[in-house]
Amino acid sequence: MVLVEQQTILSKDRLSIHLHDNVKKLESIYADCADIKFRYFLIGNESKAVLIYVDGMSNVEEIDNNLLTPLMRLELEKEPDIHALIENTLTVSNIKEIQTYDDVVSEVSSGNPIILIDHQSKGISAGIPKWEKRSLQEPTTETVVRGPRDGFIETLSTNIVLLRRKIRSPKLKIKSLQIGRYSQTQVVIMYIEGIADQTLIEEVQNRLNRIDIDGILESGYIEEFIKDHPYSPFPLMLDTERPDIAAASLLEGNVVILTDGTPFALIAPTTFYSLLQSPEDYYEGFIIGTLIRWLRYVFLLVALLLPSVYVAILTYHQEMIPTTLLISVAKSREQIPFPALVEALIMEVSFEALREAGIRLPKNIGSAVSIVGALVIGQAAVSAGLVSAPMVMAVAITGIASFLIPRYSASIVLRILRFPIMFLAGTLGLVGIMLALLTIIVHMCTLRSFGVPYLQPLAPIRNSELKDSIIRAPWWSFKKRPHWTDDYNKVRQPNGQQPSPLKGKE
Amino acid sequence: MKLRSIIENGLLRFFLICSVISLSGCWDRNEVNDLALITAAGFDMVSDEKIELSVLVFIPKGGGSSDQAMESGNGGASQTLVRSAEGKTVADAMAKLQEKLPRKIFWGHTDVFILDEELAKKGIAGHVDFIMRHPTLRERGQIFVSSQKAKKVLKLMPPLERDLSEVLKELSQHKLGLNITTKKLAQMLIGDSGDCALPWITILPPENKEKPKQTIAYITGTAIFKKDKMIGIIDDSVTRGVLWLRNEILLGVITIKPPKTDGYISVNVLQAQSKLVPKIQNGKWIITLKSVSASDIVQNTTKLDVSNPVVLKSLEPLLAKEIEKRIKKARNQVQEEMKADIFGFAEAFHRKYPDVWNKKKNRWNEIYPNVELKFDTKCHIRRQGLTS
Amino acid sequence: MLEQGKISPVQMALLMIPAIIATVLLLVPSITAKHAHHDLWLSPIWACGTGFFVVFLSYKLNKLFPEKTIIEYSEHALGKILGKLVGGIFLFFYFHATGIMVREYGEFVSGAALFHTPMAVIIGTMVLVCSFAVLGGLEVMGRASEIIVPVVILLYILLFILLIKDLEVKNLFPIMEKGIRPSLMGSIVPQSWYSEFILVSFLLPYVTNQKKGFKWGLIAVFIVLFLMVLTNIMALLLFGNLTSSLTYPVMVAARYISIADFLEHLESIVMAIWIAGTFIKITVFYYVLALGTAQWLKLSDYRPIVLPIGFLILLQGLWAARDLQELSHFLATSGAIYILSIQVVLPFILLLCASIRKKLGQRKGNKQNETPVNH
Repeated sequence: MVLVEQQTILSKDRLSIHLHDNVKKLESIYADCADIKFRYFLIGNESKAVLIYVDGMSNVEEIDNNLLTPLMRLELEKEPDIHALIENTLTVSNIKEIQTYDDVVSEVSSGNPIILIDHQSKGISAGIPKWEKRSLQEPTTETVVRGPRDGFIETLSTNIVLLRRKIRSPKLKIKSLQIGRYSQTQVVIMYIEGIADQTLIEEVQNRLNRIDIDGILESGYIEEFIKDHPYSPFPLMLDTERPDIAAASLLEGNVVILTDGTPFALIAPTTFYSLLQSPEDYYEGFIIGTLIRWLRYVFLLVALLLPSVYVAILTYHQEMIPTTLLISVAKSREQIPFPALVEALIMEVSFEALREAGIRLPKNIGSAVSIVGALVIGQAAVSAGLVSAPMVMAVAITGIASFLIPRYSASIVLRILRFPIMFLAGTLGLVGIMLALLTIIVHMCTLRSFGVPYLQPLAPIRNSELKDSIIRAPWWSFKKRPHWTDDYNKVRQPNGQQPSPLKGKE
Repeated sequence: MKLRSIIENGLLRFFLICSVISLSGCWDRNEVNDLALITAAGFDMVSDEKIELSVLVFIPKGGGSSDQAMESGNGGASQTLVRSAEGKTVADAMAKLQEKLPRKIFWGHTDVFILDEELAKKGIAGHVDFIMRHPTLRERGQIFVSSQKAKKVLKLMPPLERDLSEVLKELSQHKLGLNITTKKLAQMLIGDSGDCALPWITILPPENKEKPKQTIAYITGTAIFKKDKMIGIIDDSVTRGVLWLRNEILLGVITIKPPKTDGYISVNVLQAQSKLVPKIQNGKWIITLKSVSASDIVQNTTKLDVSNPVVLKSLEPLLAKEIEKRIKKARNQVQEEMKADIFGFAEAFHRKYPDVWNKKKNRWNEIYPNVELKFDTKCHIRRQGLTS
Repeated sequence: MLEQGKISPVQMALLMIPAIIATVLLLVPSITAKHAHHDLWLSPIWACGTGFFVVFLSYKLNKLFPEKTIIEYSEHALGKILGKLVGGIFLFFYFHATGIMVREYGEFVSGAALFHTPMAVIIGTMVLVCSFAVLGGLEVMGRASEIIVPVVILLYILLFILLIKDLEVKNLFPIMEKGIRPSLMGSIVPQSWYSEFILVSFLLPYVTNQKKGFKWGLIAVFIVLFLMVLTNIMALLLFGNLTSSLTYPVMVAARYISIADFLEHLESIVMAIWIAGTFIKITVFYYVLALGTAQWLKLSDYRPIVLPIGFLILLQGLWAARDLQELSHFLATSGAIYILSIQVVLPFILLLCASIRKKLGQRKGNKQNETPVNH
């Protein structure tokens, strides 16, 4: 702790007027940093100067052509002046003066080369970073049939560009801050002025400023620090790799948090329903969008409840299913040594294991694992009399149902909650399932994401927003923006945009 | 602060508590493997004091998907088992039956109840009480009265269906005979007259004499009850008349013989509605049966040209006569001979003339046999089939 | 104020509807049929007057003492000692009523599905789940009701749609065979249920718009009336004379559904409806009890006493009655008078006293013509 304080005091110091002192201090800061390069040179054969940069993070070609060449060939009449150099000599567009050691360190680590000149209390930072980065690819976790194919990458500046290209208005504001004592990760808050609520932006900023951590490697770190209900299993922020989702959220008045080093953007506030929406709902026609949404809602329940309902019916409410069905289930269960609950647990756990194994393994082996797991083991278990065929079916349907949920973070929750519900179903039957459902509903009703009730617009009911949650109404009917807080910019688009043959005749 | 965490930890704690509960035991858990699925039950009279309860238990043999195909090929010959026990009441017999069955008796899928004739003559109200009171027994279960011992009927092995309960269920769904569920029976028993009727089944003589058990029981008529005691049987053609009076007719073929020609014309009744309209006139109790039916011609062995609307029109009164004849037959047997009010005449009068009814209801037994039945039958032949 | 949250008028109505009908739906046909016979569907209609009167009463009281619940203003209306006493009576009554309700839930679940499970477990788990909602506060309850109640009502109506083919309209007749008396007699018990609308007076202070709250209170009475009549008519058309001899006619009705041999035995839907509805009902009573007790004892927060009260409710549920017969006998006889006198007569007296005090206060010529509360 003491050490940290010393370091901060030291780095807050202003640059010295003597190059010698500066270099000495910086060399001690960068001791044992083999990737930091110090290039000493003379400006116009007279003034001593040093160029500091991180090997591999700056554009060396540009350093050679636009920094070193003009400076070294300069014919000096008097002491070089920083202003004059910037104005006359250096042919780099993004350039700025720096005054403290702190600035030096942060500029260098973001890939900007620094020039320090003897007898000058200021340095120059040239914005010519360049490093190897992934090219834009289609996000693998959120694929669509129709819709843009680009996805965020690990580089913050590229991600900002992706969003800026979608929303060109100057109202798109970007606020930058650094989190992480060691990682010094750049985090950016984006919002559209006039749509996003001012208190929301302040709240996001305050919460981000409160974070004190060694390093941020993924936006998941931030999410856990700024979540409203830290113990809730439900995701209270949307994470996405897709710029179109981020842009759509910005247009609805949300705040997007981009973190350097990860392709996952955080969107706040979010509601439970937005976790169940896929961007494609909005790109394909509204009728199919509505139907697909309903399919998802139904399978949400299936994913959560099917194994528990199976257990409850088979152990408590055998009279509920038609006689013929019960008879065929009874036949297939006759040789099974386990109670239904244990059988269901075994199958569910092994299914989860298979799924996890499929994710961790390299892609080409992953598919093999799922084939071996699903077909071979399932078939063998049934014929060996370890599990019954209907149980395998129930588990398989549950698995498929959980893949229907477009957000991975939301489907994880269902996977977690499934197990306690199964236990309850095994002890109290359908009563237990109902009690578990009620608990989950109550819990979800207590949740808020940045002040917005999690189940809005169904609880509390907001009539105008129901048409984007229960159904997906046509685009021309979304006349109002979603309503996060009290004060908001209501009108999204004017009335009367419904296409009709009459319009062409006007 | 502390309370906040209570709320937020709520979910976690709840599940903790629940897992404690689940560890401590599952009180009502019954695995399917431990249940004896009873698909039908029969009640027989053994002596004046004792009844015998027989149950048809399904044997879930087989399993594995590949075996199942073979199993169904066998026609389910050995998939059921009949066990019986004696007792003073049904519940008593059930308790004794449990001693003989390794698996727990499960009533939730019992769809068919068979009473034997002797028991029916002695009174059925007590047994219906058991069926209605038991929490897992179905109110839609069907009740039959059998001429043979119920145990014998249950032991039959139907060649086509899974077991006997399936046979009887499907048969009664044709609605060629009465279709009486427990609920309907209970309603009739506490109705204004308290008389009821149940379908009457007998064993169909087996085709193959070597396998005497490979046959079914089928509905051959109706058992008529005065209060809850059986007093007689009517055959299936008379039962049709009863169905008309009870507005339960669903389908049926009526054959008429038009005058002045040889041969017959058969029509298939497709839609039929009937309604009892009571009337008290000068102290005389009259019921008018208003019925409307629509039917198609299915066979014509006469030389009549049924495509001629005039001919069709002339057939309609004949048809009405035929229907009335059936109903009259039913009325004669049931109302005049047996004096049992299974048609709901009492309810009809009660609804229309509540005041008169309340004064006279104690004398209903005397009034009933003299209630006059009038007809208002409308028959409509809609189509003549595909040939003309 | 102990409760910081606010609920909308619609949320209040959605809380009130199950608070009245949840336990009632299963019992109303058999209890009203005992006296009213064929006219059981008329009884809820005669009884609904009480519901409207009670909502009106709570609105009037709320106008006199805005932002205060009945426990708080009874002191202002009746004086310190008498007011505390009346508050105590109310709290004891709600304690008793919640216990009975919890027991009714337990009896149903153990009679219909879990025969061997100990009553304490059945009741305890429910009270526990309810306590989470109560700890969450009024806003959470309001939101939960918005999710649960529409689903419950839709499922309930679906149940009846599936039954349509088994209904016999002729069972409805003769209407008023023995005059109006039997159906009026049958309406006494429903009146005591309607009188539970006095709970509105606990919720109204926290409703965003009181005037609309009053309107929605009346709408809630209408919906309750509609559902009760619907239930009774369906039971009558399906079972006729049999209705009064069944313990849970709606449950049996659901079991009777049979569509295409597949949609059978929907009693589980009834159980789901019942559990979800009863959950809201118990939560509302539980909340009122916890909040009222905190106000009565002048605590700064009601949350610390929620779990202890829950434990007491559990015990009360276990000790409320020996068996179902005793319970329903109590509800159908002396219980009705007991419930009516506390939920209708007592608030009415309160309103009378409060208005007299206010008149007197104004006559004294005080410049502040506000309610006596602020003196």
